[in-house]
Amino acid sequence: MTATGQDADACRVEDTEASEASSSTPPPPPPRKARRRIAAVVSVIGELLITAGVVMGLFVAYSLWWTNVLADRAAHHQGDRVRQHWAKAKSPEQKELDTKDGIGFLHVPAMKNGEVLVKKGTSSKVLNDGVAGYYTDPVKSALPQDKTGNFTLAAHRDGHGAKFHNIDKLKKGDAVVYESQDTWYVYKVFATLPETSKYDVGVLEKTPKESGKRKPGRYITLTTCTPVYTSTYRYIVWGELVRTEKVDADRTPPKELR
Amino acid sequence: MYGWIWRHLPGNAWVKALISLVLALAIVFLLFQYVFPWAEPLLPFNDVTVDQGMGAAQQMGAVR
Repeated sequence: MTATGQDADACRVEDTEASEASSSTPPPPPPRKARRRIAAVVSVIGELLITAGVVMGLFVAYSLWWTNVLADRAAHHQGDRVRQHWAKAKSPEQKELDTKDGIGFLHVPAMKNGEVLVKKGTSSKVLNDGVAGYYTDPVKSALPQDKTGNFTLAAHRDGHGAKFHNIDKLKKGDAVVYESQDTWYVYKVFATLPETSKYDVGVLEKTPKESGKRKPGRYITLTTCTPVYTSTYRYIVWGELVRTEKVDADRTPPKELR
Repeated sequence: MYGWIWRHLPGNAWVKALISLVLALAIVFLLFQYVFPWAEPLLPFNDVTVDQGMGAAQQMGAVR
């Protein structure tokens, strides 16, 4: 610090008698202007780096907080619409509802996240609204009312509602309940796969062999990314239908949800 | 850079501080509203689905 200060002072003195001074001192100090320009460039680079750091921090806030705010808002809105829809169409003939707003709700007590709206498709446009999507591609999902098949769902682990954030809390025997307009479908988890490749589409098959099942049945598959905050692998949870319950007039939930 | 902006803002220190705050908030708004939603699908943090490796590059865009 002191050295540079002295240099600067020396410079100032030399400015007046530059020609003599430069000849007497072998390495001529850089002129003040050039040095100031270098300092300006360095400080701009520094400020840009600090700015980049702040922007990245803001991006983390955006990903982990703001997208949740937006997604929860959208999911509530769409969920309300589905419930209103159901309330209006009381007659059983009308239970074929359009899938635009969503087909039902997923309740997973072990994940402690309330109800999750289920919609068609797993594009980011669908999932970013804080819902669980059922697969249409690469393996078409069965629906809960189908005689056999695999009801395959995906949702975000972090951000955008983070509906499957606590998927690792699900253990064998935990209940996964799907609520449609007129039926509660109660599934029990029978297998989990904490880490698999993102190309492992076999987990979505009608009879998911990786879960240990060999016979067709009525299965549910939850998929999301793992480890948290990344998308390196996929986390899979399989459940099997144990019973269904008719929805009564008060929509009393099955005992697993009480 | 920031010093240069500060010197070019009009008014006394209080006015400058107020304008700086408004500018900063405007930039945060632009980032949250336009830049981050654009950048997010390009970053590998939020893929949750399984899909086929074949043509993954094209498919990923739609499935992320």
